[in-house]
Amino acid sequence: MAGSRNWMLASLYWAFAAYLFIPIAVMVAMSFKDSRFIGFPIESWTLQWYVVVVQDAQMMGAFGYSVLIAVAATVLSLAVGLLAALMLGPARYLGKTVLFAVMCLPAVIPGVISGISLRLFIREIGLEPGTAAIILGHTVHNVPFVTIMILTRLNAMPKSQVEAAKDLGADEVVTFFRVTLPFLMPAVFGACMFSLLISFDDFIRSFFLGGYEPTLPVLIFSMLRSGMSPEINAISTAVLIVTAGLGLYAERYTRRLRSRT
Amino acid sequence: MSTEQGQDPVVVFEGVTKRFAGHLAVDALDLAIERRQFVTLLGPSGCGKSTTLRMLGGFEVPDEGRILLDGRDVSRLPPYRRPVNMVFQDYALFPHMTVAQNIAFGLELKGWDGRRIGARIDELLRLVHMEGLDARLPGQLSGGQRQRVALARALAPDPTVLLLDEPLGALDAKLRLKMQLELKDIQETLHKSFLFVTHDQEEALTMSDVIVVMNHGRIEQIGSPYELYHHPRSRFVADFIGETNLLDCRVEATQGDTLALDWEGRRVLAPVPATPPAHGQDVHVALRPEHVTASLAEGGEDNRFHGRIVHRVFKGSRTVLDVVIDDGPLLQVTADPDLADAAPDGRLWVGFGRHRPAVLVD
Repeated sequence: MAGSRNWMLASLYWAFAAYLFIPIAVMVAMSFKDSRFIGFPIESWTLQWYVVVVQDAQMMGAFGYSVLIAVAATVLSLAVGLLAALMLGPARYLGKTVLFAVMCLPAVIPGVISGISLRLFIREIGLEPGTAAIILGHTVHNVPFVTIMILTRLNAMPKSQVEAAKDLGADEVVTFFRVTLPFLMPAVFGACMFSLLISFDDFIRSFFLGGYEPTLPVLIFSMLRSGMSPEINAISTAVLIVTAGLGLYAERYTRRLRSRT
Repeated sequence: MSTEQGQDPVVVFEGVTKRFAGHLAVDALDLAIERRQFVTLLGPSGCGKSTTLRMLGGFEVPDEGRILLDGRDVSRLPPYRRPVNMVFQDYALFPHMTVAQNIAFGLELKGWDGRRIGARIDELLRLVHMEGLDARLPGQLSGGQRQRVALARALAPDPTVLLLDEPLGALDAKLRLKMQLELKDIQETLHKSFLFVTHDQEEALTMSDVIVVMNHGRIEQIGSPYELYHHPRSRFVADFIGETNLLDCRVEATQGDTLALDWEGRRVLAPVPATPPAHGQDVHVALRPEHVTASLAEGGEDNRFHGRIVHRVFKGSRTVLDVVIDDGPLLQVTADPDLADAAPDGRLWVGFGRHRPAVLVD
């Protein structure tokens, strides 16, 4: 009985894994196929689509643009998120729960709604769609994630850490920079990586808030209008490898940082 | 504080009261702590001992009263402006700093230069037997080692009083005993005032020059370990420190310095306490199990009874016996294990001198 249940669970799991990974595997395989025609069988392999992508100034430009936006949005998100986390930290005060709920809201508002409303908003404040608008939109979206990640770590910090620092002569500022911030570093680092990835990956906000220059996901979307192409598979595979690599590295590094405490 | 000490207290609590959400944690506490002594605040959890310590450290502000440190009112100073340092219950070592950096932390903030700090770190690591481990991170140390680093870090800035908030609680029994002796050694070597908080009466007896027994935010009794053990003034202290028999008695007569009591129909002689009870008053009498002698034949003690063993617990060198006196009250005594075996039908004599019991008036 228990054996058959285990067997069923295992099959379900593998079916799910297959559903998750087969499409990705197909995309990766197609990026190496020596033919413009997408589909099996693959008769010969090539790296030419990657060469085409690297030589494509527009694609490389979009890639760089996406990186720039991700970095800028992450810097802003970390600054705002760290402050928000400190405000929502161990201290108790009236209205804190409401504040927390409001802070979380941007994370659960559908992208389309957030995109449209931000588009209207930037017009009102006289901001043109473009780089600044996208960075702003991404920041609004990323801050809740950054805040929650840092806040979780902050709440796990023993009260005695801050007390010990003060006991040894550190005032509030010295305590923050020499004890609290170093303690938060694993979470700050994790939040940084997460923010980079979701910002780089974002399509909807970049689409609504963008000007004439497309980010990489927006460019890929526009290329899709003229049908699938091996170049799309190649750039997607490259992005997949970079982001998965970054994500795995961040996970391992954060784990190591955390294991010290 | 015991009056035979000097009149130059390092810490004075004057009518200090602290409430948490309406709950009275510390109740109008008056306490003077003498210099260069190992003083322990002892009591059950919630008795206000930790709050008292934390108010001296600056982590809680008293609602009423004031705290003098070296004659200066520090009640409202933040922790970083007070010349006291604390060893925390969870050690609170900074996980991202090495042992040396942890110890240097307080010294850097005092503005010491690198050379002097280095020399001080070496000195302290020697003191706590941690030489050569200065480059380790706290995560790479055992519980006992962390405890030593926490001690070194708190001692580094040479505090006027060292505060210790149940620092041995997380250690296993054997290591704890070892650390107790080491702590006492260090305190004697440095000739420094230590204020130690614990709920463990054995720990308090082992290390302290003076024990302050607290209950419900008030001081029950202050005294040396010997005084508290042998002359408890309240039922709480007698019960809290060591094993004790509490006899329900009624005062019958006073003969000089001896009190004649009625213990459920039996006569018991005991010394007259500091505040003599009235005749006919109900009192508790505390009697340590090891102060009762057990024997097969009737002895010559002032108070002696015949009884029967109903329960015994073997403790190695001694056996703890529960003896029922003439089908009446129960008395716990310690005896040689062989004696208990030799008693016919478990019957034996128990007795104690008239100076042994402590009459508690509360």
